[in-house]
Amino acid sequence: MFGYLVGRLSQAVVVVFVMSVIVFVGVYAIGNPIDVMIDPGATAEIRENLIRKYGLDQPLWRQYFTFVGNVFQGDLGNSMVYNIPVTSLVFSRLPATIELVMVSVTIAAVIGIPAGLYAGYRPNSLGAKLIMALSVLGFSVPTFWIGMLLIMAFAVELGWLPSGGRGEVAEFLWFKTSLATTNGWSHVIMPAINLSLFKMGLLIRLTRAGMVEAMGAEYVRFARAQGLADRQIVFSHILRNISIPVITVFGLELGSTLAFAVVTETVFNWPGVGKLIIDSILQLDRPVMVSYLVMVVILFVAINLIVDLIYARLDPRVRLKGGS
Amino acid sequence: MLKSTLRSGIAAIALFAAAPTAMAQELMIGLRAGPDSIDPHWSTLGSQAEALRHVFDTLVDVDEKLQLKPGLAVSWEPIDDTTWEFKMREGVKFHDGTDFTAEDVKFSIERIPQVTGPMPMTLYTKYVDSVEVVDDLTLRVSTKGMAPSLPNDFTRLFVVPSETGMEAGNEEFNSGEKAIGTGPFTFVSWEPKGDLVVEKFDGYWGEEVAWDKVTRREIPDDAARVAALKSGQVDLINYVPATDYLSMQNDDSVETFVSDSVYILNIAPVVKDEEPQPIKVDGKEVEGNPLQDLRVRKALDLAINRDVLVNVVLEGLGTPANQLMPEGFFGYSDKLPKREYNVEKAKELLAEAGYPDGFEMDFTCTNNRVPGDAVVCEALAQMWSRAGLKVNAQALNGTVFFPAAQREEYTMTMSAWGTLTGEAAYTYGALVHTKDPEKGFGNFNRAGYSNPEFDKVFQEGAQTLDAEARRELYEEASYIAMEDRALIPTVILQSVWAAQADKLDFTPRIDQETRAYAITPE
Repeated sequence: MFGYLVGRLSQAVVVVFVMSVIVFVGVYAIGNPIDVMIDPGATAEIRENLIRKYGLDQPLWRQYFTFVGNVFQGDLGNSMVYNIPVTSLVFSRLPATIELVMVSVTIAAVIGIPAGLYAGYRPNSLGAKLIMALSVLGFSVPTFWIGMLLIMAFAVELGWLPSGGRGEVAEFLWFKTSLATTNGWSHVIMPAINLSLFKMGLLIRLTRAGMVEAMGAEYVRFARAQGLADRQIVFSHILRNISIPVITVFGLELGSTLAFAVVTETVFNWPGVGKLIIDSILQLDRPVMVSYLVMVVILFVAINLIVDLIYARLDPRVRLKGGS
Repeated sequence: MLKSTLRSGIAAIALFAAAPTAMAQELMIGLRAGPDSIDPHWSTLGSQAEALRHVFDTLVDVDEKLQLKPGLAVSWEPIDDTTWEFKMREGVKFHDGTDFTAEDVKFSIERIPQVTGPMPMTLYTKYVDSVEVVDDLTLRVSTKGMAPSLPNDFTRLFVVPSETGMEAGNEEFNSGEKAIGTGPFTFVSWEPKGDLVVEKFDGYWGEEVAWDKVTRREIPDDAARVAALKSGQVDLINYVPATDYLSMQNDDSVETFVSDSVYILNIAPVVKDEEPQPIKVDGKEVEGNPLQDLRVRKALDLAINRDVLVNVVLEGLGTPANQLMPEGFFGYSDKLPKREYNVEKAKELLAEAGYPDGFEMDFTCTNNRVPGDAVVCEALAQMWSRAGLKVNAQALNGTVFFPAAQREEYTMTMSAWGTLTGEAAYTYGALVHTKDPEKGFGNFNRAGYSNPEFDKVFQEGAQTLDAEARRELYEEASYIAMEDRALIPTVILQSVWAAQADKLDFTPRIDQETRAYAITPE
């Protein structure tokens, strides 16, 4: 178990290293951030001074090693645009994204898994066909378009919900969240539903496929022959068996939603990290890009690790071995 | 059971959402962009200056047409070739109650080089050599050489108290600790990309402000901004997209305000001996650079139907341009005629220049800097094809376009240029004057254009302190550059604001700033 963790962590370090090199080379290839940001009226002298001040006149490898050196001293650098530490910039926006994503994956799981189970249990019923049709819509219709429709319907026409923004936040346990106020919920519910549709569709289809397959399996027939109630068969035997693919996909989706919820965040003007990273890319704000991507890599590695641990718990055949 | 819970839940949410809208004298503005910091000396970004004006005042102010008017300084005059004297306004107080004096201005000028970032404010102090406080209300600025445009530069000189201290940076300003100005509002709160909240300052020296509290909310997405207005979350929005502007004409619940902007889409043909991307006839690269021939540049100009660009391509939100600045700006030439559209004449000129069957060339533009840049780019390529040219238009993201344009990799480009200072030296000095890093001219002259006649007149203007004489010289310089088609202006872009009907009234500004203190409730 310990060896396994060490293996996983060293993998993460390699990925972070490779990724940071790619970002540096990428930004370097696009050009000089100063030329993107600088005011058109600046003189050549001002421009030269700035390039020197930010160390952009140095060869790429030296810029990179300066960065790595600072990181080892715990300093990810200051944003070029905001001139505040990158970590505090990202962490000022991260809670909003986490909150949105958590609500949306909860909605997706709470509706998606039972709906998928039902659709697999009674594959020929009208309800099952309806659920499957809706699930296709869920992951084929573009998110921003559904978002706009939701806004037009519930904010502009009916006026029930606000069209965007985060709403009031209140202290809950040790952090501030809008989930602690009614006003906050009225802001979060629409973007969360919007963000959950794709995942919901995916979960429905995965659960249904697993269910249909399991219904014909030996162990189910055997359980039936023993006279077990269907409820017991579905919830204590089938659900456990089909959980592995569902959890894998769920984990990956959780990660990618956290990292790239940008479309929904933009449409609903949600103050999360997605918009921050897109703007940093447009302005070539390299410190923010690198640090954000490093955090995303760490996040993915952590989620994968948790998923693996859950596997081992669910399926006694899975053994976690060192380094593999 | 489930149904009824759901219903009461939605009802509760609906009640809650409907409640907190109508409070007396509060203004909610939805803006495309906001500041990057509360430190007024950090960046030259337009949306930064616009936001910080609410808290801080500038030494010199500008009216709706960008012409100078008194700000914290009531008057200014040159006392010799290299010295300007500014007289300060009396009785102005900072938000913390201290008096405003010339000492604060001196401190602010000296603070800029210490704290400014990658969009450097040193741009506006580049002529300053030294600053001398004569008395509390008099300040003398010695300049490096003659600097007739110093008062224009000081329209961006925000004044902070001299007690601020050189070590205070963005974090102290963002937290509000150092966000102390003389402006019409006091700072309440802000975070990057979030709301800027300000409250009325009772001790303000200027006209009384109508709003007790103003929230400037950043909503970068166009559709989301329009939705926020339509759902009543905000009272006013800027940068309304053309399509929404059209639909708003039939909507009684919103009111629109339209104004010309400072931004003009200009075409820059490279006139260097060797063009960066080859120009071809029948697939073979031509000898020399056809764009060096004035007849070719004139032909490109004649083939542009500016009325179609305005009325069809930009859906009415534009004005045909015949020079690099809008009318009324310092140095705008009245002598220049309206640009002509004549495809036949364009073909004749091309034939005269030795290209009866036209040629093939690349044309590169931005696609995300200003509304309509990409569509105008493609429309232009089609217009030129009618004159027999094959133009490969490519609209690129600014992140890619600007560094490559800086490296001068394109043969012909189009991008927007805004005369943000309201006078000709800024625009013609950077775009048209021969490239001369030593004197700081021609920094954005990526076309390699060089015209001794223009340079002479322009430099004479730059060395003339008398405003009227300088204006005439700049007008002549504009005339020379435009007749020579150094750059080809196409359209002045317009900008649209939209507000809840019967809620407020304001005069739109040509610099597109949304100044809450100039807005009055209806």
